Amino acid sequence: MSQMAVTFNQVSHYFDELRALNDLSFSLPGGKLMALLGHNGAGKSTLIKMILGLLDPCQGEVSVLGQTQNPASKAASTDIGYLPENISFYDKLTGHEVLSYFAALKGVSARAVAPLLEEFGLAYAQHKAVKGYSKGMKQRLGFAQAILARPRLLLLDEPTVGLDPQASQFIYHKLKQLTDQGCTAIVCTHELQLVEPQLDLALVLGRGKRLAFGTLDELVLNCGLGVHMAHPALAGLVATHPLLQSFYRDGDLICPVSQREVLMKYLTLECQLFDVKVTLPDLAQVYHAKMAQMQVMSELGLSLTSGEL
Amino acid sequence: MLTTVKRPNLQLIWVIATKEIKDSVRNRWVMVVFAIFWLLALCMTFAGSAVGGTLSLPSLSSVVASLTTISVFIIPLAAILLSYEAFVGEEEAGTLQLLLTYPVSKSQILAGKLLAHGGVLFTAIASSYGSSAAILLVFGRGESWGEILSAFALLIASSCVLAVIFILISYLVSLKSAEKARAVGSLLALWFALVLIYDLLLLLLLVADLGYASQWLVNLLILLNPTDLYRAINMLGASAPLGSLGLLAQYEWSLPLLLSTCVAWLVGLLYWTRRVFLKKLV
Ligand SMILES: Nc1ncnc2c1ncn2[C@@H]1O[C@H](COP(=O)(O)OP(=O)(O)OP(=O)(O)O)[C@@H](O)[C@H]1O
Ligand SMILES: [Mg+2]
Repeated sequence: MSQMAVTFNQVSHYFDELRALNDLSFSLPGGKLMALLGHNGAGKSTLIKMILGLLDPCQGEVSVLGQTQNPASKAASTDIGYLPENISFYDKLTGHEVLSYFAALKGVSARAVAPLLEEFGLAYAQHKAVKGYSKGMKQRLGFAQAILARPRLLLLDEPTVGLDPQASQFIYHKLKQLTDQGCTAIVCTHELQLVEPQLDLALVLGRGKRLAFGTLDELVLNCGLGVHMAHPALAGLVATHPLLQSFYRDGDLICPVSQREVLMKYLTLECQLFDVKVTLPDLAQVYHAKMAQMQVMSELGLSLTSGEL
Repeated sequence: MLTTVKRPNLQLIWVIATKEIKDSVRNRWVMVVFAIFWLLALCMTFAGSAVGGTLSLPSLSSVVASLTTISVFIIPLAAILLSYEAFVGEEEAGTLQLLLTYPVSKSQILAGKLLAHGGVLFTAIASSYGSSAAILLVFGRGESWGEILSAFALLIASSCVLAVIFILISYLVSLKSAEKARAVGSLLALWFALVLIYDLLLLLLLVADLGYASQWLVNLLILLNPTDLYRAINMLGASAPLGSLGLLAQYEWSLPLLLSTCVAWLVGLLYWTRRVFLKKLV
């Protein structure tokens, strides 16, 4: 258990009647980057606030960096870096002043501020009031703020909103560096293509419930989507190989992930096809499949039981 | 490699206070507040000579009386302008939520803000009214130094308490408001009610003449409004005519009672504000 950075054990949180998190359990090992996905209002920000101790679990237990989280003991707070969603900082202060302020509060030396601004491409604007910063500049300032004290756990709520593609890439590059050094990161985002190559694990939430949790391969495996196999010769082969017929749709073969190996073997050994183009479902497809499943379940009036769909 | 140093509590409060002061200076509120207080103090001190056409200053009691009369309007307003944003502004910007994930307690945040806003108003009040006292000491009509100093000490001290009371009221409203505009709206309405409407209602009560009971009620109601308390303290302290208040109150207050009620207001508001902040979810 000790190497788990964050553990949720059957956690629920209510805002009055509204159940923002519903019987949620997962364990995130240290040094991993977890993408936190879900529709608007799914409970992502609520989950992050619970890790921070800003909100209490109404039921269940949250433990962070080996400690059970309760707001009374904020012992872990210098170990956690946080970038809230939609932060705009103090209009009248300069970027340098803002970062120095947060550094002083975290007990980080003021000398760390200038190099960090430099690294985030804000050196040229560091003595300009934050009011004149673009959205992306504020977002970079926010990210620099989050990593000021070399946190062991980073919580980023939509860090790449408003960033240009290079800046987003830079953020994920930086994140990779940090996770390689043992930092654990939770990134809440709607930009699936951006996060897909970076994530170690993903947690998909729907209406406060866990819809899926695991590595991308695991998600693909259990979401019921098929693997696409394409080759120009397939159309001709289907007639002579009845086994292929059941997988054949619109010129391609589509098979469940679990049968992929067997089918590949069949294609190479029996059909002598060696350069079949295989496409696995991507994160976006997995996400949409999960959301569609949730929709169907709720239309059928089936309650979402704990665990995955 | 970053160096992490452990900060004692007072240092954190100071970090927050200096940031707040910087913010207020950039907002130009500090300049506006200083300008208003200096203008006010100098006008009230020289007002008499302007009318008379000679350099004869008005008496101590009339300077204190006119400063008090105008301060009742200005101090609450200055306090409101300086501090209405304190919490709702940070909440709108998302920084309050962020701050609460830092190793700072809510009490430290509150203390830092109060130190900054209270400090700004204290400096403005003490320097402007103090210079007024200095002018009377040098060019005055020969009132004793003791008289002048004690009257002004009371004026400055009670002005600062009034300022802090209104800073705390602003914090309370700021903590409970969802938007800056709403906070400033509610506070101005409150200001209008406490400073203007309240006294009118008291007058009505007296005019309605319910006998002894209404006089008793009016006296009680004066203790329940910090601006009336402030007026009463300074009129009594400078043995000046009570003005409109004199009309209202036939009852003889004692200065200690008024002062302790004032302090009770301050302590009560501080406790309440802290409680509201501690209970606030973000
Ligand atoms: N302070 C609050 N008071 C009442 N309800 C809240 C509060 N904060 C969030 N909620 C509700 O809880 C649910 C989850 O909100 P949350 O902010 O966690 O969603 P999210 O997944 O972060 O959405 P988004 O992608 O839009 O940021 C929503 O239905 C929201 O309306
Ligand atoms: Mg959110």
